[in-house]
Amino acid sequence: MLTNLPIPRIDPMPAPGPIWLLRTLLLLTFFLHLLFMNTLLGGTVIAFVCTLRRKRSLFAAQLAGELGHILPVVFAFTITLGVAPLLFLQVMYGHLLYASSMLIAVPWLGIIGMVILAYYGVYYFSLRATSHPVSGTIVMGLSIALLASIAHIYTNNFTLMLGPDRWASLYHRSAAGWNMNWTDPTVLPRYLHFVLGALAVTGLFLVIQGLRKRETSYGRWLIDQGTLVFVAPTILNYLVGFWFLLRLPGGVRMTFMGHDTFPTALLGIGLLLPPAAIVHLILARGNKSPVRQAIIGIGSGVGTIAVMVLMRDAVRNAYLAPHFRFEQLPVAPQWGIILLFVLIFVGGLATLFYMLRALTCSPNRVTAATVASGR
Amino acid sequence: MNYPVWQLGFPGGLLIAAVAVLHVFVSHFAVGGGAYLVITEHLAYQRNDDLLLLYVKRHSKFFALVTVVFGAVTGVGIWFTIGLVSPEATSSLIHTFVWGWAIEWVFFFVEIAAVLIYAYNWDRLDRRTHLAIGWIYFVAAWLSLVVINGIITYMLTPGRWLQSKGFWDGFFNPTYLPSLLIRMAMATALAGMFGLVTGLRQATPVRERIVRWAGAWLLIGIALLPLLGRWYYGKFPAFAHDYVAGLIPAARRAVLAGAVCAALILLLTLVFALLKPRLVNAAVVAVLLMCGLLVMGSGEYLREFSRKPYVINGYIYANDMRVADVTRISTQGVKQVSPWVMAAEPVQYGRELFALQCAACHSLDGYRSIRSRVRGWDATFAREMLLHLQLTRGTMPPFAGNEQDRAALGDYLASLAPAAVAAGGEIDAGRQVYEMRCALCHSIRGSRRPLDFSGMDAGAIADFTRTLPDLSADMPPFTGTESERHALAVYLHDATK
Repeated sequence: MLTNLPIPRIDPMPAPGPIWLLRTLLLLTFFLHLLFMNTLLGGTVIAFVCTLRRKRSLFAAQLAGELGHILPVVFAFTITLGVAPLLFLQVMYGHLLYASSMLIAVPWLGIIGMVILAYYGVYYFSLRATSHPVSGTIVMGLSIALLASIAHIYTNNFTLMLGPDRWASLYHRSAAGWNMNWTDPTVLPRYLHFVLGALAVTGLFLVIQGLRKRETSYGRWLIDQGTLVFVAPTILNYLVGFWFLLRLPGGVRMTFMGHDTFPTALLGIGLLLPPAAIVHLILARGNKSPVRQAIIGIGSGVGTIAVMVLMRDAVRNAYLAPHFRFEQLPVAPQWGIILLFVLIFVGGLATLFYMLRALTCSPNRVTAATVASGR
Repeated sequence: MNYPVWQLGFPGGLLIAAVAVLHVFVSHFAVGGGAYLVITEHLAYQRNDDLLLLYVKRHSKFFALVTVVFGAVTGVGIWFTIGLVSPEATSSLIHTFVWGWAIEWVFFFVEIAAVLIYAYNWDRLDRRTHLAIGWIYFVAAWLSLVVINGIITYMLTPGRWLQSKGFWDGFFNPTYLPSLLIRMAMATALAGMFGLVTGLRQATPVRERIVRWAGAWLLIGIALLPLLGRWYYGKFPAFAHDYVAGLIPAARRAVLAGAVCAALILLLTLVFALLKPRLVNAAVVAVLLMCGLLVMGSGEYLREFSRKPYVINGYIYANDMRVADVTRISTQGVKQVSPWVMAAEPVQYGRELFALQCAACHSLDGYRSIRSRVRGWDATFAREMLLHLQLTRGTMPPFAGNEQDRAALGDYLASLAPAAVAAGGEIDAGRQVYEMRCALCHSIRGSRRPLDFSGMDAGAIADFTRTLPDLSADMPPFTGTESERHALAVYLHDATK
């Protein structure tokens, strides 16, 4: 322990893999989780809005239907890909995460029930939205509220995990786990930053869907709408991001303002990539051959997410610097099992490739949108 | 000790049990049901049976909805719950088995992808490919079980891991194989049980055939349980055998309840599903499901309880305290070791110690009520008893703390139910004193350190109680009043003559 705060001591058992590998896996799987999670959160909002507009726009009705079929699959992989970063996070930061989770135990555990309800809500929308649009819309609205609440609880815990100075007072306030980290001034801007980011990523997803159908007017409409859904939240996110930056404690903020080269470079790239994405997507929108511009735009957008994942990691480590450093962790890599994991991982990817290939090469070729449709 | 304690008003173990039993019920279905789907699909093609095929299609969608949503999310729920209730043990599991879990995650990922493709693409994939994806699903789901089983059984019988701390020593532990096989049997039974759920809704011509087919799966799975259960139980730690033999009535009741429910399932399946399939209705299936849940629950309860006083046998106690830390805590005192006890006032400090060391298994007035267990204890006796907790029933971890901690917790416990002995005849009063002060560790002519005072009169027994600490370092002194001593002596004389 580097301070006198109530920080649990690090597990006496060594980390079973080198820290660089654990960190890489944490960040990589979190990045993948983020792609799906953002599409899920933003996708449910778009599906909800499109269902409301179904009578005024045939394209909106079609998009709502397609999202209804895609979102259960996206939900499944959001969860699956969320398990891995949670696993690797616990190896390095477990002593901090367990303590903060206990302090907000009730909402934290409530996430499980909320996920199940939101998941079945999305399935209900998928199966009933066409025949029962009103109840489908209401249920989807509830699922959105649940997903937004889950995101909020996550933001609470992952900020509380970084602030051991607040733990003792919260534990005294309620040892029964009825706390939230609302006194932390970064919670709100951080939450909004992520939620707006999720909407923007869904915009990219719509552009990708549009590109696959670019020969049709529906495809072009999707590119138009996707660009709009990306651009508006992204511009707003500059303001929210700035607010978030200002709310960070001075020491953490200065990490991004020249005190530390890598985080400063990340901030620079993170500021430059979204305009590149915006410009290219807008150019693609008015172009008869939009593929090249759109791919650059999408690439810049996805690159922004990767940079944000690295920045989030840098924020975490800057916050924790007075309390925890990786050098404190004893390490004894289990190389034999790591090798087995790599082999099984490759085997898993090959199996996944086989299944997707079988699906896409079947005589009745399908699109990703119909994987879960059952039609 | 190392972590804050979630004081949710009842033992956190109950919460783990609730989430875990629901999860394992569905997750075992997710394994067995995979084989059931793909073999039934095979059968439908082989017999050119369109109605059976239609059933499998419908069942696959039900299967995906139950396993992908409820099964997968409650699995994550166990993670969340154990992290909240037993963070020290969870951290230890993570540090020992993170790569095992990473491997399991790959299987989980393949499993989810495969079941979504399998359930929703019947008309798009040719039969051979569809069957192949069904088999991929089943193998991935089974491999998930193969991995998780190693980690779960390690907690009960860590075997050579305690010395070597090696991954494989913990993974392939003494209960690994019997546990894997018994879980596969249960998975087969649950495949049949849930097969009946959707089978009931099929058209009459095919309904009976499906009920018989699903019933056969159920019967085979359940019929294997006694044999495999015996083998599995034989590998349990020796102290767990004492629990089931009668030392812990709840453990014995769990085994009996599980056996009765399994027998009922066997009977109902034989009579209804195999002999009179026409009579199978929603009520029968509901009873089967309820019994299945109870069989699963009793098995999980027994496995969990058989580890007591540990959560990881021989390594971490049920109250999340490491075995290796007891001496350090006792030397330095809890305040020096735990950053989470903050009270200065002794009774409040005692309450915090209770939360840290006792609340994992005891509630104040509800489940395993501490108040009823310490009724009538005076402070001296309570402080003394804290020195001998591990001897009371074998399921208790030792108290860890210095003299000041023991005094604070002892005083707190004594403050909970300072009831005097109720009025009544001398023998009645003596029995109450006996239950308060002796029955925690002894029985009268039973198997638990039996008391035998035959040949001694009440006066001699009373004198004998003045010398208890001389008998053994594990005996606390009698700290009751003289009238309680006398009543106790009269009762013991009467009960053991």
